[in-house]
Formats: sequence, structure tokens, C-alpha cells
Amino acid sequence: ILQCFLSLAVFGRAIHAIARISDEFWFDPIEKGLALRSVNSSRSAYACVFFSSMFFQHYCWTAVSQPCQKEKQLSLPCKLIIKSVLPVFRCVNVLERNVERCSISTNPSGHHITFQLLCRHGVVKTYNLTFQDCDPLQAVFAKHMCPNILKVHSRLLADVMIHFPTSQEEITLSVTPMKVCFKSYTEEDTDFSRTMLTEIQLSPEEFDYFQVGVDSEVTFCLKELRGLLAFSEAASVPVSIHFDRCGRPIAFSIEDLLLEASFILATLCEAEKEAATPEPACCPRPWDSSRTCMDKSDQTSMDRARIADTATSKKPQQKGNTPSMVSAKPSNALAKQEVKNIPRGSERDVPGRAGAAMAKFHSLFFGAVSYKEKEAIGDTFQSLVTASDTEEEFGALQSSQVL
Amino acid sequence: ASLDNARHLSSLLRAVHFQDHATCVATASGLRVTVEDAKCIQANAFIQAEIFQEFSVQEESVMFRISLSVLLDCLTIFGTSSLPGTSTALRMCYRGYGYPLMLFLEEGGVVTVCKINTQEPDELLDFDFCSTKVVNKIILQSEGLREAFAELDMTSEVLQITMSPDKPYFRLSTFGNAGSAHLDYPRDSDLMEAFHCTQTQTNRYKISLLKPSTKALALSCKVSIRTDAQGFLSLQYMIRNEDGQICFVEYYCCPDENMSEAEL
Repeated sequence: ILQCFLSLAVFGRAIHAIARISDEFWFDPIEKGLALRSVNSSRSAYACVFFSSMFFQHYCWTAVSQPCQKEKQLSLPCKLIIKSVLPVFRCVNVLERNVERCSISTNPSGHHITFQLLCRHGVVKTYNLTFQDCDPLQAVFAKHMCPNILKVHSRLLADVMIHFPTSQEEITLSVTPMKVCFKSYTEEDTDFSRTMLTEIQLSPEEFDYFQVGVDSEVTFCLKELRGLLAFSEAASVPVSIHFDRCGRPIAFSIEDLLLEASFILATLCEAEKEAATPEPACCPRPWDSSRTCMDKSDQTSMDRARIADTATSKKPQQKGNTPSMVSAKPSNALAKQEVKNIPRGSERDVPGRAGAAMAKFHSLFFGAVSYKEKEAIGDTFQSLVTASDTEEEFGALQSSQVL
Repeated sequence: ASLDNARHLSSLLRAVHFQDHATCVATASGLRVTVEDAKCIQANAFIQAEIFQEFSVQEESVMFRISLSVLLDCLTIFGTSSLPGTSTALRMCYRGYGYPLMLFLEEGGVVTVCKINTQEPDELLDFDFCSTKVVNKIILQSEGLREAFAELDMTSEVLQITMSPDKPYFRLSTFGNAGSAHLDYPRDSDLMEAFHCTQTQTNRYKISLLKPSTKALALSCKVSIRTDAQGFLSLQYMIRNEDGQICFVEYYCCPDENMSEAEL
């Protein structure tokens, strides 16, 4: 049971940011605070915003113990359709002026979450929104294992991104110890005479923190990131970027005393690069058909991916995997148990490494959050990993590190 | 009738334009345009004779049915954007039964003549809503309701209006796919200009019928909300036009038949 009061502006902005990822989000109150999470349908983007209890003017969460279901989590994860919540926080600017206070409370028996806004002129708006029970959602990503870490003020990042047209879906970030470059991502068959390419280079001095362990070039979806950019600009905090080689996920996160937000995006791996660095199966394949940050009906890119597949014929095994999303592998059997709603999570065909790595999924996203249940459950899977629908993102980064 | 600024007329008519056809009644006191739907809702726009520069009606009253869409298109033939300083002058003539309505519109020296065919007027609903039968009455400043109406959850079939001398005083509720939403206006709110509720009443109205009233709400500065013993709803919008003159638009609505206990 949750009851809390909060200031609306930041919360509303967070919801808008998450809305860029998906239509629904997970509403997960725990003792330490409230987490809002979302993942897109292709599981290639994951967002999590965690508000510590200090963010709220009043935060009171009590666990509803269910003696009959011992294995069930003590928290009350639930899923809300975001469209229903957006009107509540529709226009943040107007909200700031009009709303004096917002309170959120849950009523487990009624299956409602109640948002109540006290507005100007004494008007009270009450929204009772239904939610669905669901399994908890959490991505596993060991940020501290990333060789490349950049920290930059949100203002700078926004200034960089503003140069890319809003229609630009994907951009490439390439780093060397000498420079950082953001450029528009182009496919092989792009007609260069018709497209505008943008490239912005920054020197390491412009970053608050600059660490490049391995030269890399990662391509990710800008659209999904824009939500976080807007949010961080409003909060005016620096953005940390953790990433590795291409194919591994990239994490954009912000944190301050009261809240933490992370957006984890899958990155594209170029087929050519793959040929250059022959790695055992763990270097991810190009997107499979489920990526959505490209146009969903973008058949041509998918075909290209498949053609690339054929051309390099690097991983015949994977080729077979791509069409069938649910392929149970022995090493992932355990994953499958917990990961109920993500059958594709098991599609890690990283034979050598997956087994051991998967068995130790345990790492949490951000430091401040530590679920009590984690200890209780021991070393079984804490909760599902969902942020990757394709092997590439999490390949070898799964570790048992607990942040 | 002639009018310096056709926008005085067109904006009011737009506020009731949710059906294609309207019935116009002209009497010595002015022009009344009525639009109805589903035999459940009626909207009236009143343009008093005083608004017009010239207004004369030969017979006692003149009534005809006309396509409101066409009328509006003609009135706004020079465009709908309101540039300061420019306005469209209007002259309307109606010879009588069977004759078309003639409109002469002039702006910047350009004259347009429109002839719109008129039809037999339909019988209009009489909601029999008179002030003596009013059970509950509230007058609110429109700005308080505008946002509420614009954000109404359209997945809800009904808009439930609760008016009561006790809490919650005045509440608008919707029950949509995602859940229920309630907007409460306390009686001591500074938006509340008048609050006369004698009885607790909860009535539901089809939201699709009431949604068009949002247009009238947007134009108005004040709105009066009244219900009678049968649950019929009267919304009266006081609209101030560009010259500061006052006109009224009214909406009458019958309650939804399938009423059940109010969900809270």
C-alpha cells in the first residue's frame, strides 16, 4: 500500500520521458522509493526512473504480506497503461502553475492507483486508474564494467542532439581517447545525395569525466533517448554515458540525491565490424526483426541484416535462431523460469559464455536500490532481464556484480 | 439584418455547430439558431437584435431550416483568421416562406453574394425547462471548466454530474477504459460565482452529446449549470463578443436512460 505526496513537475517530466519508450510502464513502489520502468516492445530500449523516498514530501509504503505466496515479491509491481496516466500529467508547465499538490495512493483490493491533484481554485482532480499485476521488470546491466564512461552536462548533450533532425532515428557515437564524435547513422544503401549527414566532434576536455578504455563506435536509437534528454535538461544534472564496443548496450543515466534515471539502449553492430574482429559467437549479430527503433515496417533493413548474415555466414547457428524467438537452451532454462514474459530472453546463443554468466544474473541497475528480496531469493534470478531481445546487448556483460 | 462584423455571428454559430442542419427563428427580439441531435440534446444560439446594426422582421416571427455548415462556410468566405482591423460586413435578407436566405458579404471592397436554400422547419424539442423547476443551479467561471472539458476521458460513455449542497458539491466524473476520473469543485472556490443546490443529484449524460458544448465553453466567460427534478441539464454560456456585447448559447440535455448507482 502506497501513499505519497510529491511535487509534480519533475514527476510529470519523468513520465513523459518514459512515454517515449512504450505505452505502458511498470509502477513499482518499494520501501526506499518508487520506481517507474518501461521497456519497448522489441526490448531494445529500457528506461527506469527511481525516485527515492526523499523526493516525496511524504512517502509511506507498507508491504502487504501474502503468507500464502511465499515466493512472491513483497513489493507490488504493477503495470499501468501509460496513455491513461499521461493526461494526468499532460502539460507540465500548466501543471506547475495549477497544481499545488499531487498524491498517489494504491488500493490493492480495489486494483486502482489513485492520483489526486489539488489544483488552483480548490479544484480536486482524482484519477482512479486500473492496473494489471505483472511480473517485475528489471534490466541487468553492469555499468561499472563498461570500459568507456563519459559524463557530460545535460545542456551540452542537448545542444549536440539538437543538431540532428528530429527524423534522424539512429546516431553513432564513436570514441577514441583523443576525441568523441556523434554522427548520423547511415546505412549502406543510403542515397548520399539526398540525405543530410551531421557530425559533431567534441574533445575530451568538454566532458566532466572522460574515460575511453576501448575505441568503439556504437549506434543507438536517438528517438528513445530524447525523453531522457528532455528530462535531464529540466533537472539540470549531468548525464553519464556508459558503453562498450558496438553491440553492447549503452546506458545513459542521471542521478542526484533524490532520483536516478537510466535509459539503456541496445546498440547496433555492424556486420563489417564483426568480420574484422572475429569473436566467438558473442559479438552480436545485427538486429533481428524485432528492433523497433527503426521503422517497424522497415523491411529493407531487416533484409539487409539477413543478407549480411548470409554474406558473412559467420554464425550459421544464429541465422537459424533469428526466426524463432523462443528457443530454450539448457543454460537458460533457469532464466526461462523466472523470465516468464520474456521468452526471448532465453535466446542467448552465446554458448560458451552465456551459461555461466546467466546463472549469476543478479546485478542491479543502480546503486541506491537494493531490493530486500534479492537477498531472500539468494542466487536465483532476481528478476527478469528484459532490455535485450537480441543477444547482442548483454552478451558477456552479465555478471554477478551487485552494485 | 445587417451586421458590421460577421464574426459576431459566425463564432456563435460555430459554438452550436454539431449537426449539419439548424432551425432559425427570427423575431423582433433577435435571431435564434437551434441545433438538435438524437432527440436528446438541443443547442440554441441567441443573437439579440441589438447586436445587429439593422434588424427588422416583417411578420411576427419567421422560421426556416437551413444547412448550418453551408451558412458557416458562407459567413467565413473571406477566411476565418481574424486580422485586427479587418472585418467582414454582412447583410442578410429573407423574403419569406420558400425563398432562399440571401447573404451579402463584403470585405475590403470585395463583395460576395450567397443564396442558401431554406427548408421546412422541423418541430423543435421543448425541454420545458423553466426557472421555477430548477432544483440545482451553479454559476461558474468558464476558465475553470475549460481544461476539464478539453481533457474529458472520451473512452467513457457518460459524463456524470453530481450537484449537492454537501460534499462533493459539484463533481464531474467519467468512467473510461483506464479507470475513473473525478473533478471536484468546492462551493467556496473562487471560480464559483453562485451556488444554489437544494438537493443532492447525480445524473449521467452521454458524453458524446455534451462534448460539442466545449466549443461554447471555450468562447464563454461564464457558464450556468442547472438541473431540474427529472435530471434534465441546462448549460447556459455567457459569451462576450469582440465588441463587448453579450450573447447567450444554451445547451439542454436529457439524462442517460440507463442510470445506475454512481460509482465513486
